[in-house]
Amino acid sequence: MNYVVLTIFFLLSALTLGSGIMVVTVKNIIHAALWLISTFVGVAALYMLMEAEFLAIVQVLVYAGAVSILVLFAIMLTRQITGTGTRQLHSRWWVAMLTAAALFGGVIVPTVWQQGSSWDKTASDAQAILVQQATEANGGTRPEIIPVAGTEELGAALMGEYLLPFEVVSLLLTAALIGAILIAFEERTRRRRVLTLAEELALRKRGIVEPHDEEGAVVPVDAEQAV
Amino acid sequence: MTYWPVIAVDAWIGLVLVSIIKVTLILVGGSLGMMFLTWYERRAIAYMQDRRGPNRVGPQGLLQPVSEAIKTMTKEDITPLDADRVVHFLAPVVMLGATVLAFAVIPWGNLFPSSLRVGVLFIFAVTGLHTVGMLMAGWGSNNKFALLGGMRGVAQMVSYEIPLLMALLPIILLSGSLSLTDIVTRQGDWYGFGWYVFSPVGLTAFITFFIAALAEGERTPFDIPEADSEIVAGYLTEYGGMKFAVFYLSNYMTNLALCFIMASLFLGGGNGPGVTALGTVLGGLLSLVYFFIKALALFFLMVLIRGTVPRLRVDQLMGFAWKFLLPIVLVNVFSTAIWVAITRWGPQAQIFTDWFGEPASDNYLRYGVAIVVTLIINLLAVYAVMRINRRQPSDLTEEEIALGLAG
Amino acid sequence: MTLSTRKGTVNIVEVNRHDNNIHAGQGTLKGLDIVFRKFRKALFGKANTERDDTEGQFNVQYPEERLVLAEAYRNMPILLYDDATGQELCTSCFQCERVCPPQVIHITQAKHPETGKPVPAAAEFVLEYDTCMSCGYCAEVCPFDAIKMDHDFELSTADHPALDVHYTHLLRPVSYYEAIAPTMWAEVRDAALKKLQNNIKRRPGNIGVDHGQKIAGKSSAAAPKAATPAAGAAGRKQYTGPIAKVGTSMSEDKLARLMAIREANTGKRGGPPESGAHAIEADVATNAAGQVAPSDQATSGSAASKATGPVAAPGKNMSEDKLARLMAIREANKAKQGE
Repeated sequence: MNYVVLTIFFLLSALTLGSGIMVVTVKNIIHAALWLISTFVGVAALYMLMEAEFLAIVQVLVYAGAVSILVLFAIMLTRQITGTGTRQLHSRWWVAMLTAAALFGGVIVPTVWQQGSSWDKTASDAQAILVQQATEANGGTRPEIIPVAGTEELGAALMGEYLLPFEVVSLLLTAALIGAILIAFEERTRRRRVLTLAEELALRKRGIVEPHDEEGAVVPVDAEQAV
Repeated sequence: MTYWPVIAVDAWIGLVLVSIIKVTLILVGGSLGMMFLTWYERRAIAYMQDRRGPNRVGPQGLLQPVSEAIKTMTKEDITPLDADRVVHFLAPVVMLGATVLAFAVIPWGNLFPSSLRVGVLFIFAVTGLHTVGMLMAGWGSNNKFALLGGMRGVAQMVSYEIPLLMALLPIILLSGSLSLTDIVTRQGDWYGFGWYVFSPVGLTAFITFFIAALAEGERTPFDIPEADSEIVAGYLTEYGGMKFAVFYLSNYMTNLALCFIMASLFLGGGNGPGVTALGTVLGGLLSLVYFFIKALALFFLMVLIRGTVPRLRVDQLMGFAWKFLLPIVLVNVFSTAIWVAITRWGPQAQIFTDWFGEPASDNYLRYGVAIVVTLIINLLAVYAVMRINRRQPSDLTEEEIALGLAG
Repeated sequence: MTLSTRKGTVNIVEVNRHDNNIHAGQGTLKGLDIVFRKFRKALFGKANTERDDTEGQFNVQYPEERLVLAEAYRNMPILLYDDATGQELCTSCFQCERVCPPQVIHITQAKHPETGKPVPAAAEFVLEYDTCMSCGYCAEVCPFDAIKMDHDFELSTADHPALDVHYTHLLRPVSYYEAIAPTMWAEVRDAALKKLQNNIKRRPGNIGVDHGQKIAGKSSAAAPKAATPAAGAAGRKQYTGPIAKVGTSMSEDKLARLMAIREANTGKRGGPPESGAHAIEADVATNAAGQVAPSDQATSGSAASKATGPVAAPGKNMSEDKLARLMAIREANKAKQGE
C-alpha cells in the first residue's frame, strides 16, 4: 500500500469529479466546456497514474485538445452563452437522477459482485499475466518496467484481434466526414461565385463569356489595346 | 495491491528532490533560452534589414530582454471591464503551462529530463492545449478582434496539427519507438551521422514538419492569429503587462521547443562525429554544443523566413495545409513503409532476402534500393500535388462558368 | 489589353505563371538567398555609404558616431556677433518677431543712454526654445543676417524654464556660423559686415557689444566644435571614416552652456535677480547711468512693474520705458502744482 500514490489518486479523483460536477452546474456554457476540459485532463492524469501512458496522451490529444475545441466552437455559435435567467433543473429532476443512479448501478454492481470478494487476487493475477507476457516479449528475462497497456500491445490488438471493429469505426468516421463535406459543399454551390479577373479573361478568350457592362450591353474583347 | 509501483518512502523523497531540481533547471533554462531567442531573433532580423538591432543594454544588447521583462512586470495589469475575468486571467496560464509541460520530455543534447515511452506524442498532446488557451484568451477578452484572432489561431492550429503529426509518423516508423530517447540514440549510427534527415523520407518529413511547425509556432508566414495589420494583435489585443509577457514567453518557448524537437527528431539531436568516442562527460558536452548549433541554425532559418516571406491569407493557409502538405505527408508515410520493408524485413519475407541478402545495418544494397525507390515515390508525389494544385484558369469547367455567370 | 467589367475598365498585363516549368518554391528560395546575402553583408561590417546603395548598414551609432549635418540643416535660431569687435549683428528691427509663426521671439530695443532714442541694437532678446518650431523664417527674413539657424540639436533638458533663452546665451561668434555653414555665410558675408559697420556708427558707448563681451569665453569654447563640421565639409556627401567622431568637447561645451543657463534661471526664479539677470541689470545700469536713480525708485515704488517680475529683463526695460513717461508726467504735475 502506497499512501503517496493513494493521495495523488484521491486528489486527481477529486479534481475530475469536481470538474465534472461543475460542468453540469455552471450556468455559463463556455465555462462548462472549460470545466469539461479540466475533467478530461484529470482523467488523463488518472491514466498516467495507472502507467497507461499512451492512453493518457491520446486522451489529452483527442479529448482535451480536439473534441473540447469542437465543443467550444459549437457553443460559440449558440445564443445564450452566459445562461443568465435560465433554469438548470427541470421540475422532475429526481427522475433523471434516479435514471442516472440506476444506470451507474447497472455498471458498477455486477463488477463488484463478480470481483468484489477477491480484489487483490484478481489484481495480482493480472500482474502475473502481464509479467509473463513481458518476459516472453523480452526474450526470457523479466524486464524492469512492466507495461500495463503498452503502445505495441495496443497496436497489435487493433491490427489483429480487433481489426474488424477498428475498420468499421474508421468507415463510419469517413462516412461522417464525407457527409459533412457534402453538406458544406451544397451550401457553398448555392452561393454566387465571383470570377477572378484572370478567370474572366481566360473565359473571354475562349469566347464562352460575354460579360455585360452596367447597362447590360455586351462588351466585346478589346484585343487591339493589348499591352 | 501491488498494482501500483511501490517505492520506499526515502527513495521517493530522493525522487522528488531530483525532480524538483530537474524542473527548476528546465524552467530556468527554458526562460533563459526564450530570452536569448528574442534577442537572437531581433539581432538577426535587424541585420537582414540593414540595421543593428538592440545593442545597448549589456554586452551586444544581451540584457535587452531583462530590461524588457522588468518593463512589462512594472506595467499596469489591465482587465477589460466586460471581460470574463477568470477566463481572461487563466488563458496565459494555460498557454504557458502547455509549453512548459512539453519541456518535460524534450532532450537537451543527449540529456533527457525524463524518458517517457510515448514522449513524442506527449509533446504534441500537450502543445495541443495551446488551442484551448487561445480560445480562452479570444473569448475571455470580450473583444471582436481577440475573438477573431482566437478563432483563426484555433483553425490554424487544428489544421496544421494533422500534417505535423503525419510528418512525425515516418520518424516513428524508422526508429520503431515513440520515445525521444530511443529516437535520438538510434541516430548515432554511421559515425554520428545516422540522422533521419539524410534519407529521402526523412528529408520530406523534415521539410513538411518544418513548415507545419512554423504554423504551430505562429511564425511569420503563418502569423495569422496575431496579424497586426488586420486584427490589431489577435487574441493578444486585450493583454498588457505581465500577462502579455507570459503569452510572449509561451510563444517563444514553443518556438524553442519546436527547434529542439526538430533538431532531435531529424537532425540527430546531440549526435555528431566524436560524441561517442569522447566518453560520457566530454561527449555529453560536445553533444550539447552540437545540439545547440542545430537548434539555433533551425531558428535562424525561421528568422530568415520571417525576414523574407509575407503573411499568407487565411484561405491560402488552409489550402496549403489540406491540399498541399497533407497529400505529400500521406504519401511519405507510405514510402516510409516501403523503406522500412526494404531495409529491415528479414527471413519472413523471402523475396527481399533473395534479392538483397539478410538485413543488416551495413547492407548497402538494401539502403541503396530503398533510397532510389522512396525518392522516386516522393518526387512523383510532389510533382503530382503541384500539378493538381496548379489549376489553370482556362481549366474552368462549364458548371463553374455557369456559377460564375449566375450572379 | 483592356477588359470591361461591371465595375469599370481594367488594364490587364498578362504574366504567364502557368507555363510548364515546375514552381517548387524556387521563388521563395531566391528570396531567402537575397535576404541572407543582405544579412551577411550587414553583419560583416559593410557600411552603406552611397545614397543609391541598397545593401550594408544604414545605422549610425548616434552618441558615438554622427552624420555630418547638411549646411542648411536648421534646428534652433541663434544670434551672431563679430569676432573681432564683439559687435552684435542684431539691430532689433523686429522683423523676426513679426514673422515668427508661434511668436516666440521677444526683443527689447536698446535706447540711447542720454537721449532715450532707439539705437540699432537689442537690449534684450528672448527666444522660447520650447515653443520654437524651427521653421527658419526668422533667419530668412533678417535683413542684417543676425539671426541664423544652429546645428546643435541636443537640447534635451529637464529644466523647462531654461528653454526661455536670453540674449547672452543666444549669441555666437560669426566664426562659429562660418564653420557650420561656410558657403551660406560666404554668400552674405560682405553685405552683412558692411551693414554692421553702418550700424556700429549709430551705437553709442558700449551698446551692441556688452552681451558679447560677457560670453567672451564662448568663441574659444565653440572653436573645437566648429572644427568638426569644417573638417567634414570637404566631402559632405560621405561620412568621414566612416562617420565623423565627435570628441568630448561638444558635450563639455554644451554642459558649460547648460550650467550658465541654469544659473541664470535659478537667479531669475529666486525673486530679486541675483546672478544672471542681475548681471544684465548691472550692464544696463552702467549704460544708462543717467536713469539709474529713477529706475531704482520705480522698481521699489511701482507695484505694477513688480508684477512683471518673472520675465525680469524685458519687464525691467519696459518699466524703464514706462518710468520715463511717468517721470515726465510727474514733473509736469509738479510744475502745475508749483504754479
